[in-house]
Amino acid sequence: MFKWIHRFGSPPFVYRLSGRIAPVLGVLCLILMLTGLYLGLVVAPADYEQGDSYRIIFVHVPAAWMSMFVYVVMAVSSAIFLIWKMKLADIVAQASAPIGASFTFIALMSGSLWGKPMWGTWWVWDARLTSELLLLFLYLGYIALRNAIEHPQLAARTAAILAVVGVVNIPIIHFSVDWWNTLHQPATITKFDKPSMHPSMLKPLLIMVVAFQLLYFYNLLVRVRSGILQREKRAAWVAKELEN
Amino acid sequence: MKPKRKQRLILVSLMVAGVALAVTFGLIAFNQNIMLFQSPSDVAAGNMEAGQRFRIGGMVVDGSVQRRDTNLDVQFSLTDHASTVPVTYNGILPDLFREGQGIVALGKLDDKGVFVASEVLAKHDENYMPPEVAEALEKAGKMPGTAANYGNTTLVQP
Amino acid sequence: MMSIEASPSLSSVFSRIARRELSVALRNEGQWLNPLLFFVIVVTLFPLGIGPGPNTLSIIAPGVLWVSALLSVMLSLDTLFRTDYLDGSLEQFVLAEVPLSLIVLAKIMVHWLMSGLPLLLMSPILGVSLNLPVSAFGALILSLLLGTLTLSLLGAIGAALTVSLNHAGVLLSLLVLPLSVPVLIFGASAVSAAASGQAVLGQLALMAAFLALTLSLAPYVCAASLRIGVAGSN
Repeated sequence: MFKWIHRFGSPPFVYRLSGRIAPVLGVLCLILMLTGLYLGLVVAPADYEQGDSYRIIFVHVPAAWMSMFVYVVMAVSSAIFLIWKMKLADIVAQASAPIGASFTFIALMSGSLWGKPMWGTWWVWDARLTSELLLLFLYLGYIALRNAIEHPQLAARTAAILAVVGVVNIPIIHFSVDWWNTLHQPATITKFDKPSMHPSMLKPLLIMVVAFQLLYFYNLLVRVRSGILQREKRAAWVAKELEN
Repeated sequence: MKPKRKQRLILVSLMVAGVALAVTFGLIAFNQNIMLFQSPSDVAAGNMEAGQRFRIGGMVVDGSVQRRDTNLDVQFSLTDHASTVPVTYNGILPDLFREGQGIVALGKLDDKGVFVASEVLAKHDENYMPPEVAEALEKAGKMPGTAANYGNTTLVQP
Repeated sequence: MMSIEASPSLSSVFSRIARRELSVALRNEGQWLNPLLFFVIVVTLFPLGIGPGPNTLSIIAPGVLWVSALLSVMLSLDTLFRTDYLDGSLEQFVLAEVPLSLIVLAKIMVHWLMSGLPLLLMSPILGVSLNLPVSAFGALILSLLLGTLTLSLLGAIGAALTVSLNHAGVLLSLLVLPLSVPVLIFGASAVSAAASGQAVLGQLALMAAFLALTLSLAPYVCAASLRIGVAGSN
């Protein structure tokens, strides 16, 4: 059992394993994304109130979910790196940051595109949009801190602390922004339970959620592989691997 | 106990006490029940003075919306199914404003008890469905967010 | 190797570090004068940029005062640990028998005395100039008291993370400003609520909760990042 876990500390093993898994994830992601987009943009009917513009949720909602998921992955692997000094965890955190920032950016852009037909402006200080914007700043801060410190070891551990501090703060920030928004912005009448969606719209959304998840893992593996190569560039196994 | 370990114990207990204190303050804050907007019943009960700016939230009464042809003046009534307050507004109403829909307006009461709104806000609800389904629900009186179902809707945030 | 005499009590450590910091700070007027001047000037810029209408000003006053205080605290924190890092005393703190988090806390508190407290005392005067209703002054001072302390603690985390860099001013703000959003929201909202005659206990209680939370966690986070910073530079 422990032997099995220990193998994930071995760069050559992870490099080869991820090299085998990544293409499979990539192909699956492509299939699901095309299916989801077809069902969402072509097959699903228009909304009773928002017309066709609601279709942006098929990109917006998965991207927004992933932006938060990726931050949690980043913070958890940073914590693992700080506690057990596992280098692979740091590579995962480093590789996740730009992907997470991109998802956040996509969520923001699509939210703003949605805002134009729905609210009449490109940007509203909606609670979710504002939280998302702050999340983008947290990602950018992490990346900037990592880039600013030259010593790689020092940069890795410092950035890891920032990621952990950030994840503790995210719920508080989210709560504050929600509260601020209800005070300053339109409060609305909604139901307490989950947003209800017609199955014809829910199915493509769920497919897109899975597709975005796969997109993240595919990108993560590709980036982790190059991260491993970069750090182990002087190791014998890398030279051997790249010869083939 | 070794002095160093004792010191660490003191510091850790201080930290735990600090977190407990934070939780206590948090609970106090949540018991304060910060009001987001007033209901028409609050206004009817005379809780709000004329000239004081506040937010009012409720449903637009069916058939109460009157527009002028010459300018942008709009009149309508807001209700929480217990009391009703007349509202006037000069400006462009949001797309999603319609009778039977919940809205929030910002403004103040005039001397006659009419709410003069400076801002009217309505946002889309969280229900997504094709128009035919919406129509069917409407017929059955089960449309979420309408007056018929006001009982199971709650005033919360987006 | 470690005798009982060598490890002084926690309170004496705190007061000794605090006294050292205070005497260093008092010899350097810039340390308390610059953040205060910055605060005053930024607040002055708002009427110049927006216009002198007293009604507009009284509406934006809580936000202006709070944003200016936030920026002023952030900008003054850059050098909190760096001088100690450069002259080697930080290394001594890390190696010392006494807990590093306590030393860090003493430094932060003195820093707040020198930068946060003057802002607090100056804020009513600026409030008058922005036409803030007198009823809001109590909430302004109380919220700034709770808030600038929290901001100093949060900013210290940023200062500790960037201790090994030569110039961290902008980076420090980039790291810490998103984290300080809750303080800004509830601080400004407490002042606005008080200005329109509403209850402010809820906002102030939440700010007290933030302060208690950062007070109990931030010194440890700072200590951990300073250890990393000192170890990494060798």
